[in-house]
Amino acid sequence: MKRIWQHPQEPKTGRRYWRSVGELERRSEFMNKLGVEFPAGDTMNEEERDNSRRDFLKIMGASLGAMGLVSCRRPLTTILPYTKHVEWVIPGKPLLYATAIPKPNGGAQPLVVTTHEGRPTHLAGNPLHPTAGGGLDSFAQASILDLYDPERSQRPLRHGKNGVGWSSVNRAIRAATESVSAKGGEGLAVVVGASSSPTFTRLLGELKKAYPQAMVVEYDAISRDALKAANAELFGADVLPVVNLSKALRVFSLDCDFLGVNPVGADSVKEFMVNRDADKGVDSMNRLYALENRFTVTGGFADHRKPLAASLIPVAAALLAAELGGTQVSALAATASEDLKTWVKVAADDLKKFQGKAVVLTGSGYGAEVHALVATANQALGAFGTVIDLVKPDTVTPAGMLPDLVAAVRGGKVSTVVALTPSDLFYDAPGASALKDLFKDKKVSLIHWGHSPNATARHSDYHIPAAHPLEAWGDLRTADGTYSIVQPMIQALYGGASAIEVLLALLGKKKLGLEEVKPADPAAPPAPAPVDAAYAAVRETFEKIAGGLDEQKWNLTLRDGFLKGSTFAKGGSLNAGAVNGIASKATVLSAPTAEALEVVLVPDSTLWDGRFASNAWLQEAPDPITKLTWDNAAWLSSKTFQGLGLKEGQMVKITVGEKSISLAAIEAPGHVSNSITIALGYGQTKLGFVGSNSDGKGRGFDAYKLRSDANQYVLTGAKVEKLDEIYELAITQEQNTMEGRAIYREATAEEFKKTPDFAQKTGMDGHIPQNISLYKGQVDRKTPENPEGFDYENLHQWGMTIDLNKCIGCTSCIVACQSENNISVVGKDQVRKGRIMQWIRMDRYFAVPKWGKDEAESDDVMIKPTAEQLENAEMVSQPVACQQCESAPCETVCPVNATVHTEEGLNAMAYNRCIGTRYCANNCPYTARRFNFFDYNKRPLDELYMGPLSTPSKTGMRESLQLQKNPNVTVRMRGVIEKCTYCVQRLESAKINQRQKQRDSKNFRVPTDSVKVACQQACPAGAIEFGDLGDEKSAVNKVKASPRNYQVLKYVGTRPRTSYLARIRNVNPDMPNAAAIAAWSGKQF
Amino acid sequence: MGNFFPRWTNWLVLKLAIALFFILVGVSLGVSYYFTPKYTRVGYEPTQPVPFSHKIHAGQLGLDCRYCHSFVESSSHSNVPTNQTCFNCHGTGKGNIRSNSPKLEKVIQAEATGTPIPWVKVHKVPDYAYFNHSVHVNRGVSCVSCHGKINEMEVVRQAEPQSMGWCLDCHRNPENNLRPLDQITNLNYDASQLDRATFYKGLLDKGVKAEEIAAEIPGGGLLEKAPDLQQILALAEKTYGGAVAQQEVGLQLKKHWQVSPPESCAACHR
Repeated sequence: MKRIWQHPQEPKTGRRYWRSVGELERRSEFMNKLGVEFPAGDTMNEEERDNSRRDFLKIMGASLGAMGLVSCRRPLTTILPYTKHVEWVIPGKPLLYATAIPKPNGGAQPLVVTTHEGRPTHLAGNPLHPTAGGGLDSFAQASILDLYDPERSQRPLRHGKNGVGWSSVNRAIRAATESVSAKGGEGLAVVVGASSSPTFTRLLGELKKAYPQAMVVEYDAISRDALKAANAELFGADVLPVVNLSKALRVFSLDCDFLGVNPVGADSVKEFMVNRDADKGVDSMNRLYALENRFTVTGGFADHRKPLAASLIPVAAALLAAELGGTQVSALAATASEDLKTWVKVAADDLKKFQGKAVVLTGSGYGAEVHALVATANQALGAFGTVIDLVKPDTVTPAGMLPDLVAAVRGGKVSTVVALTPSDLFYDAPGASALKDLFKDKKVSLIHWGHSPNATARHSDYHIPAAHPLEAWGDLRTADGTYSIVQPMIQALYGGASAIEVLLALLGKKKLGLEEVKPADPAAPPAPAPVDAAYAAVRETFEKIAGGLDEQKWNLTLRDGFLKGSTFAKGGSLNAGAVNGIASKATVLSAPTAEALEVVLVPDSTLWDGRFASNAWLQEAPDPITKLTWDNAAWLSSKTFQGLGLKEGQMVKITVGEKSISLAAIEAPGHVSNSITIALGYGQTKLGFVGSNSDGKGRGFDAYKLRSDANQYVLTGAKVEKLDEIYELAITQEQNTMEGRAIYREATAEEFKKTPDFAQKTGMDGHIPQNISLYKGQVDRKTPENPEGFDYENLHQWGMTIDLNKCIGCTSCIVACQSENNISVVGKDQVRKGRIMQWIRMDRYFAVPKWGKDEAESDDVMIKPTAEQLENAEMVSQPVACQQCESAPCETVCPVNATVHTEEGLNAMAYNRCIGTRYCANNCPYTARRFNFFDYNKRPLDELYMGPLSTPSKTGMRESLQLQKNPNVTVRMRGVIEKCTYCVQRLESAKINQRQKQRDSKNFRVPTDSVKVACQQACPAGAIEFGDLGDEKSAVNKVKASPRNYQVLKYVGTRPRTSYLARIRNVNPDMPNAAAIAAWSGKQF
Repeated sequence: MGNFFPRWTNWLVLKLAIALFFILVGVSLGVSYYFTPKYTRVGYEPTQPVPFSHKIHAGQLGLDCRYCHSFVESSSHSNVPTNQTCFNCHGTGKGNIRSNSPKLEKVIQAEATGTPIPWVKVHKVPDYAYFNHSVHVNRGVSCVSCHGKINEMEVVRQAEPQSMGWCLDCHRNPENNLRPLDQITNLNYDASQLDRATFYKGLLDKGVKAEEIAAEIPGGGLLEKAPDLQQILALAEKTYGGAVAQQEVGLQLKKHWQVSPPESCAACHR
């Protein structure tokens, strides 16, 4: 008799987690997809099918004939040893290097790079680094793909066309400098981006000295000019505030996404998590208040969050400053609504109790008055000198701003512009196309340096391809000043130059491009290696910073990846007089209305300002909030969205003043009404398939067109108009759903104190009936009573924990997994079909505390939530990968034993055995398995359905991408299921390394916590622990002992090795609506 | 009704069945021998670009395997040596041994141009199987177990099938191939060459308890009190005879080095 398992019913009352409004309201689009992991239906249209069937037969016929011929002989393979041995390289062993990579907004990400026989394959954070040690963000994680990107800029361009060599670039640079040298550099302008490289700054200073009349302009698309100007006035020139959140117990964020795209210190995520450990006692846990117009990862992680229009952030800042006893700006504060006043007051009262341990933060895009008000608030809280350090960096160059350059060009004062900024002037600058025409009109000779053949590169006189940070010498400083050397670990693949090298070329100290190698004369003695000018320049800087060129110190710095004790000097204080001056300039603001909406422009969580548009991993990494891949869209609140009668992806026209753009709209719970958020960086053209689709028209929509000033992030008085067209968006939020199961658990700090083990009793977990089956299979610890169990004495037993109280949902783990495990990118169309391959899926749920109209007793699950409830929704994130069930449902259904259990508790995959029945995926209650519908590695993603008839030049894995692959992991082919295996290649190599040491002893266990899996290594928050359960000292064992530890879907009896730690929200009971926050879902039933 | 079928057809079905039986048996026997690595792979002996003789170097001269394959103990790959290794002996101004022999022509050429010598791969493990040399040679498995007596081969030839079943045979019964660590690269090793007293003394010196050693000798059983070396030797001689046996060495090493070769898929397939 077939028994149908009934999942425990959802509670009718209380809290519910849902991924989209469609799910909450049971809209038909969602219900049709529910439970269909691999949507059926035609994969190709009529015409494609007809053609391909005929072609298929033709090719089969031909290949059958050919098969007979080739199968007789064993193919001859050769082994090519090095002719001369390479220092340190042991074939087959990875070699690690410490280096650093610039963060998109300045600062540095220290790295440890894994190289295999000279090819870098994987990046990880540098765990030894004093301030930014540990994990890394997804930008840095994915930057390894930029190195091998087949669409990156590979050769110099002249007017956007190939055909010039490096020698003509060198000539052009010489000509440019020679023409201006007579007039002291007048007519030369250098545009730089924010850089934390001391050598770059030093060389720029030298350039200024050599050409005193030359103009230096700093331009970044995500401009911080307003912040810099405010800082200069508040703290003095050359003084920067650096926030160390590890010293704060109360944090108030005024739309500052410090856990996401707006870090405020050397490593804000890591520092914030220092005081976030609920197991150390909830009283010492920090508390986060957030005001923001849209959900950010920071807002989702906040203990208290209130949606507030971005135009009203200055009002909130004024309120807060007034409450904390700082400046009074009554004109602003008076306009606040009553509930905002109460909200801010109660929060401020809480902050006041933590003198010297509380801090107020604000987004870097806001105007000077907000920064001034926040500075007084921080002054009142005693944050300066405790939480906030004022430092004097040496990497600041006095530079003009973009409008200065535009004015100079217009006035005909500039004849040559050298663009060294990573931003794309002719795409992201305000009035980009007008600027392009202006340069053309005034016959400005533009020499552009950049990583991709972007708009500026195509319209420049000379384009110089940039070297990847892994290809050239350089140096960087983290926000607190710790100095790192950037060392090359591969020769520049296409001979690109770094920004430092271009500066050296301008100074006449270096010729760009690959040196021509003459065939060596065997008789001649080996020529001494030419000294790289960039190397010499970095050493010169090092000498200054380290106080002498000590060879040993240099080598140690290279080895460790940082120079000890090289932080910036502290100094400076808040100039209270300046505050009132700035604050008094604040203008009175009004809340956006349905007629005059606000548009908030934000850096994208995956493409930043657009510079990562060619990075396929980042394009496919779902946005942490919307789960949107490959595109951007206008985020609208439910009220605005439903008020306009929109459907998901429906186009809207947004007009701000005279500028307007049309783009797709999506409904974003937690978004404030009458406000629209648009991520920048999309809509770039002609970047190749990944960056701008095969038609070259671009992915997503360009929101830079709305700006008239690079410092404009909040645009007011916008109008929105509904259009008929529906744009196809690839959103993963409703895919692989585990809908309706209580898999996320959280409670307030108070609830946790009362019932520490609430997570273990939620749902029916408290009273699961015992398994009385005679056949128990291989589960649990091996004992005389349970002889089939796992051997904890003589083997490793692997396990993992994920702390939801630390996970912010940033997607760094997803990209790390992709890099480590050779996971393919599938493209937008396939993502739409639910075929995304990422092994880790970052589930993002929204929750409303009381979601029905009549929350008491109603059987109707289709109750429509109110717009206000949707606006105040809470957000949680939960990464889910294979849970490595001890009693795995997938294994029993595999007809070919391709997925089996190892004696160490892993649910292993033998890819070469898999025949692709997908039974396992159907049987997985966690929907953690992925299927290769196509040869994603071999076939061009825009011609998947062409099969073997795809364009030959695009078919097969690109050579450069082959270099990135991890040689210790199989590259899976079509028709194979794949999934997380706890980085089994790392476990095996750790065990083997231990056995090399063990030799003839019994000491088999790998040293405690010495093996780290890729996601754990990447997690900036340290939310993931992994290790040997058989080792009593291991961190994972300690964490599993926490009362917050629970297994997802425990009642199914799968006995997963991965467990989660429930989230604790540190709720302030005095806050309005505090009772509703994280209303414990832990109802037992 | 006439007889449509002549008389001889009565037996036809039976004859056909018998013939079919023999054909089927023949085909299956043929397939199971000729279509397996035992036949298709063993004996593969491609011509190498350089007439390098393992017989002379490893056999006559007695060079240790690790002189050239230097990373075999630390890496998954057993590296093919660089030209520099060859020139340590053959190079002008270095060893000067036959430095102008025409057989070295390609090596000299590779040195001059930097283009490596394309050695032909003999032992090929499929891409989806991740074999690791270091873990084997560090834990008592000799080169000879997988590669045969290289020291007797003029040109390297595949000696073992190296199929999955063959791997598993040893992973299930490692005692048939384990040997003391100082004998790993001794390709002429035989357990009988070992001195029994030295072998057991070595184990005792490593801190293995005497009663545990005795427990691994069949017939030894659990002893009431710890035996001394002489008792162990007597026990071993009683069980295995005068000469040291491979089983004897293998079982002791498997137990006391805790050799537990993995048999799960994930050990080799990822």
